Amino acid sequence: MKKEEQKAKQTAKVKDKGQNDLKMKNQNASKNQKGKSKNVQGVKRKKEEVEEEEEDNSDESEDESDMEEDDSDVSDSGEVTGYTDHNKDWLKPAKSGEADSDNDDSEDDIPDDFSDDELSDDDSDEDDENSDDDDEDLLPVEKKAKKLEKKQARDKKLAEKELMTNITQTEKYTLPSGQEVEQETNQPPDITLVQNRIKEVMGVLADFKEKRTEGRSRQEYIGQLRKDLCTYYSYNDFLMEKLMQIFPLEIHEFLEANEVQRPVTIRTNTLKTRRRDLAQALINRGVNLDPIGKWSKVGLVVYDSQVPLGATPEYLAGHYMLQGGSSFLPVMALAPQENERILDMASAPGGKTTYIAALMKNTGTIFANDANKDRAKAIVGNIHRMGITNTVISNYDGRIYPTIMKGFDRVLLDAPCSGTGVIAKDVEVKINKDEKDIQRCSHLQRELILAAIDSCDAKSSTGAYIVYSTCSILVEENEAVINYALKKRNVKLVPTGLDFGREGFVKFEKHRFHQNMKLTKRFYPHTHNLDGFFVAKLKKFSNKVPVDPDKQGTTENVTEQQETAVVNQSSEDKGQSSEEISQKSPETKTMKKKQTNVKKDKQGKSKWMSTKGNKKQFKPGQFKKFKNTSKGKK
Amino acid sequence: MADLVEKVLREAAEKESKFKTIEVEKEIDVIIDEGNLLVCDTNPIDFKLQKKNREDYLKDLSRDNTQLLINRIWQLPTHREDEVVVAELPDVKTLIPREKPVPKKRKATKWEEYARMKGINKKKKGRMVFDEQSKEYKPRWGYKRANDDTKDWLIEVPQNAGKLKKKKAEIYPFEDQFEKRKKKKNERTSKNELQRLRNIARAQKTKVPGVGLTPTIAPSKDHLGKALAIAKKSTASIGKFTETLPKEKPSKFTGKKRKFEPNYGDVKKENTKQLDILNSVLNKTPILDVTQAVNAHVKDENRSSSKRQKTDKKGGKGGKGSKGSKNNSQPKKGKRNKR
Amino acid sequence: MRPLTEEETKIFFEKLSKYIGENIKLLLDRPDGTYCFRLHKDRVFYVREEIMKLAGNIARKNLISMGTCFGKFTGSQKFKLHITALDFIAPYAKYKVWVKPSAEQQFVYGHHVMKSGLGRITENTPQYQGVIVYSMNDLPLGFGVAAKTTQECRRADPMAIVSFHQSDIGEYIRSEEKLV
Repeated sequence: MKKEEQKAKQTAKVKDKGQNDLKMKNQNASKNQKGKSKNVQGVKRKKEEVEEEEEDNSDESEDESDMEEDDSDVSDSGEVTGYTDHNKDWLKPAKSGEADSDNDDSEDDIPDDFSDDELSDDDSDEDDENSDDDDEDLLPVEKKAKKLEKKQARDKKLAEKELMTNITQTEKYTLPSGQEVEQETNQPPDITLVQNRIKEVMGVLADFKEKRTEGRSRQEYIGQLRKDLCTYYSYNDFLMEKLMQIFPLEIHEFLEANEVQRPVTIRTNTLKTRRRDLAQALINRGVNLDPIGKWSKVGLVVYDSQVPLGATPEYLAGHYMLQGGSSFLPVMALAPQENERILDMASAPGGKTTYIAALMKNTGTIFANDANKDRAKAIVGNIHRMGITNTVISNYDGRIYPTIMKGFDRVLLDAPCSGTGVIAKDVEVKINKDEKDIQRCSHLQRELILAAIDSCDAKSSTGAYIVYSTCSILVEENEAVINYALKKRNVKLVPTGLDFGREGFVKFEKHRFHQNMKLTKRFYPHTHNLDGFFVAKLKKFSNKVPVDPDKQGTTENVTEQQETAVVNQSSEDKGQSSEEISQKSPETKTMKKKQTNVKKDKQGKSKWMSTKGNKKQFKPGQFKKFKNTSKGKK
Repeated sequence: MADLVEKVLREAAEKESKFKTIEVEKEIDVIIDEGNLLVCDTNPIDFKLQKKNREDYLKDLSRDNTQLLINRIWQLPTHREDEVVVAELPDVKTLIPREKPVPKKRKATKWEEYARMKGINKKKKGRMVFDEQSKEYKPRWGYKRANDDTKDWLIEVPQNAGKLKKKKAEIYPFEDQFEKRKKKKNERTSKNELQRLRNIARAQKTKVPGVGLTPTIAPSKDHLGKALAIAKKSTASIGKFTETLPKEKPSKFTGKKRKFEPNYGDVKKENTKQLDILNSVLNKTPILDVTQAVNAHVKDENRSSSKRQKTDKKGGKGGKGSKGSKNNSQPKKGKRNKR
Repeated sequence: MRPLTEEETKIFFEKLSKYIGENIKLLLDRPDGTYCFRLHKDRVFYVREEIMKLAGNIARKNLISMGTCFGKFTGSQKFKLHITALDFIAPYAKYKVWVKPSAEQQFVYGHHVMKSGLGRITENTPQYQGVIVYSMNDLPLGFGVAAKTTQECRRADPMAIVSFHQSDIGEYIRSEEKLV
């Protein structure tokens, strides 16, 4: 019993009752122990009583550090390091965090198992003692039953620990050698083998330090993983590399999510009905649906349906529209107000346009444009079906739209993209995308976003917003395009207004984007159960186009400087300030030359610069606001 | 004798001394393209000499190169042609780029397109045809051709002259057949010319000037109207002072082709105009619903007749004024009388 | 894009009045804005004035649609009413036909309305009158022409046609190309 009690002390099971007493006693005990006195027998007995009380009063817990043992050496940290009684030779205290057996098992050998056994025994004994003390009303049969249960639990725990130790004690996973790789390429791929290898390699990469084989670099593991993922999920190498860069840790979930379709969603047409009524009507027809989530008041997700959703009378009457959940997001970000003029640059087949019109309640004007004539015709059907009367549909290339019309309050650009976010819908994207495709898409998107910004009117009273969205997850098509727009035009990023979704990348691989890029939002199929999407909201603060500093010609400067220098000198004599003259001349010249004229002012002998008394102290950053605009001469 | 020889030699030497040698030495051999009469001299220019006297230097240089060219020309095979020595130049070695761009392929004419669609291929016809009359081969077309119908000294008047078979194919017995033939030929050539111009216009996407009103044998009402309108206009004042007849309607062929209201005109005025049109349209539909009126009348008659029968049966109390008499029936729009 | 000429307006109104009678006035004189009819590529569009003016910026070749398309003029200058006009015509309809749920599908597929599928019909419907076809939930389904008067409908046998089909909302799926 004494031994058992001692063992019991090893475990850190402090009960709630009488913890204060415990602490007091512990402090006393520690004082005694710090002397490392071997003469503990007497003390022991006293402590036994104390301990019994402790055991009575204390509940089970797993923290060892609180409990300080009498018979054991306690280090300053509070851990039990050794025993000072006659058992010290063979009796080793359990280390802290024993309960988390994974860590122990990976590092410890058999002796620890032994200590675990002892531990579990101690547990049971303590429990027994506790139960004895607490429930004296229990019949002996019941007591025995309790004991049995605890024993079973203990066994189970042990068994699990054994399993874990077995697993971790197997050989470390090794990558296939060059020969094996060659063999594999000659044979048709063995799917189960590939699958297992994926799991193994991912496990190794998770705990690389421990599980790697010497002589194999991380890159080799990653390369092998990439190859296997390509074969297993049938992607081409280019796309898989890109995806692995974006999802270093979640690649597996992402790929799995792409194999499954996203749920079918519909959007209620608020011009004709309410979500409640529509849901009721559809349920009556035998459709199983639910509201899509807190974030939308018009969306419904359909689990299954007895009738074809695209042919119900409600659909034909224009009460709802079949639309992917992620397509709600750019329109929600755009937040169109009533009586505004809105442009939707790539609007086919009309889902977003109809949503915008519903939000505007058929007021204002919407210009729906699409570059493809057949798809533009599809918008007509949808608009008429949903009962929308304020839309004009055109068929232009989006890039030339500013030449047709400007002065829009809001512009939505759902740019054509590579479709890497909707792999679940179009399986061919996995294989047919390569560097050129992405570059082409990216180039087109850049042109379109500049056109969209030019069409928008910065002086709009209700807000000059441009929303850019794509159904792609690649950085080249998303953040890179926004960054380009920020450089080329007077726009700034603003919060999208969507309260869920991941932030966009501020830095990625070699790219470094503007700090505000974290205001953009990314959505992934495996995290949000929506199609992969990117949404960014820009606000235009000036209609002027900033001059590209790289494009200013040098020869022009020289000749013009000479001319205006002469002019300046002659005007000085007449008493005019050179400022006035240079004001007249640039009015007929272009923006580019304005800046050069400004420079000339400094070079030419202007009146106010020459006088010594006019030397001003310019603080740094004082003229920052004039950076992108002309020097205010007009 | 010796003097003569000496004299000749002296003269030759004098002559030679006047001219420079025909032998020219060059550091790098020049490339001569006889076909183009081209000499390419890649020797570096001597700047010192050039600076001294540019003109002379260039003159000497060009003289040397020309001499080399002529030497080469004399080496080519020659032959005589009418007291002239002619050298045959070989083929061109250096390709010179085109002066003008490559001409675009011509657009197919209307006939060519039709032929392509139908699969009709051109069949080359021979130049000579056997002429039955002269029993020899003569050209198919052109000077002294076979079957030349302009040489006919007699043309028969067709048999069914004087009979009006179809209006279009009217044949007059006293018309000049020769003139007729000529005229037909003329018409055919001018039609062909028009087709040709149309083909060109279609290829160049321009327009052919209109032919105006062509004469027809049996003009339609439309045609006559057009002809009248044109005739009226064809005065020195472009029809401004031509008077119209008392009951003549304004010609629908005059004025602008189609004139529409301006697109951005006053919408409210437009709407009022449309309301007027609407009223006129609605007024056309009769307010009196004939079928219902008739039904009502018939029903009333039946009722009145049945009542009369009843009263007769009862014994002549004197039929009251029939309720549903003709005079009283007042058919109301869409409603039936309840009596 | 141009306004309708007088003849075109006449033909158009005649067709419309078959369905809504004199309620066309309500289309022309609207309290919430000035609306107008415009012709573009043989189609009649009903559009608010401001939108019409803005749409003028778009070239004829590139403009596909504006506002609501009511129908088109055929080659021989007859007017054909499209289903896209239903939203404007349904509220002003004079004569209505209600169809039972069982026969809804048939009508939406393009078949005529039979007596067996007839739910209700407005009183005193003259024969060959333009009617709007509704479902029992008061959902407009399309246009039709009454084959029989109300009286005759009462006495007709179940297989008889009560209303000829003119256009229905199923056309949004069946013949999308014809809309533009």
